[in-house]
Amino acid sequence: MDATSLSSIGAGIVTLGVGVGIGLVGMSAISGTARQPEIAPKLQTMMLICAALIEGIALFSLVICFLQMK
Amino acid sequence: MNGVATQMVASAVAAEASPDSSVQQSVNEFIRHHVLIHAANVDACNVPFAHLRFLDIFASDAVMLFVGLAVLVLLVALGFRRDREVQSGLGQLLELAVQFVRDRIAIEFLGPERGLQLTPLLCTQFLFILTLNLLGLVPVFSCATGNINVTGALALMSAAVMIGASVQALGWRGFFRTFVVPGAPRALQVAMIPLEVVSLISKVFALMVRLFANMMAGHITIFAMLGLVVILGSVALPAVLVAVAVFFFELFVAVFQAYIFTLLSAAFVAQLTEPQH
Repeated sequence: MDATSLSSIGAGIVTLGVGVGIGLVGMSAISGTARQPEIAPKLQTMMLICAALIEGIALFSLVICFLQMK
Repeated sequence: MNGVATQMVASAVAAEASPDSSVQQSVNEFIRHHVLIHAANVDACNVPFAHLRFLDIFASDAVMLFVGLAVLVLLVALGFRRDREVQSGLGQLLELAVQFVRDRIAIEFLGPERGLQLTPLLCTQFLFILTLNLLGLVPVFSCATGNINVTGALALMSAAVMIGASVQALGWRGFFRTFVVPGAPRALQVAMIPLEVVSLISKVFALMVRLFANMMAGHITIFAMLGLVVILGSVALPAVLVAVAVFFFELFVAVFQAYIFTLLSAAFVAQLTEPQH
């Protein structure tokens, strides 16, 4: 197996973790909003920040994949 | 003119006959060429206006930066009138964007004083990135924010503002003190300093990679869907519908990424200007 295939598999594994992470963020935001609907805008901003930060990790793996492509 | 497309179809046919690594290599090369250099955009799709060679200049990211700039300047010049109290259509749209950045991003994260001070910069970032993202979705135009050099420059600007605002708020001493974790044992504090420095650098790096990879990934998805048609012919026509759906999702992503970039640079400035963190 060459570096491209290995890095693609690695990116897949990273995406698994990131999916769980963003799912947890969304879940907490939804349950927080359900309990206290009046702070929904604030929660939404915080959710977006967290989701964007986590998403960055998946994108790092994507970029590493592209760097491996020859 | 359709050399690349023909070559790719030939490669795909060859791949069905005998899958070997050199074919894979050429397909990879094609994707890289499309996504990273953009010069093959018009050639690869057998579109009626492919013979108009002057359209090729829009395949350059540098040209697209100036096109984006021109669009923004024209929007403001046409839409915004200084002598009017209430703006007409276009001006109201611009006011909406500026007000959104000022109230929902700048003032919310940085407080009324520093927020108003940094609103011009954040508005510039937001509108510029938004314009480039949306222009990148127009066929023939290249996506300038899908180029890591462009996003790198934008992130470096954010970094300069982060450090500058921190020095302005806390002084040089205070800026270097943000690298020290308060309330930890002495040895741990010393050990944490390199980590904090790396954390600052990785924030800037993440800003750069996030915008670049998001825009590039969207374009690759659209391209992969349309590429199926090039490879398989009319059997893959339903993939065009998927490509259209992905395109509309990309419209959302274009706005969202502009918002996220602005919001994160405001949040990072806020982190660095607080005395204790």
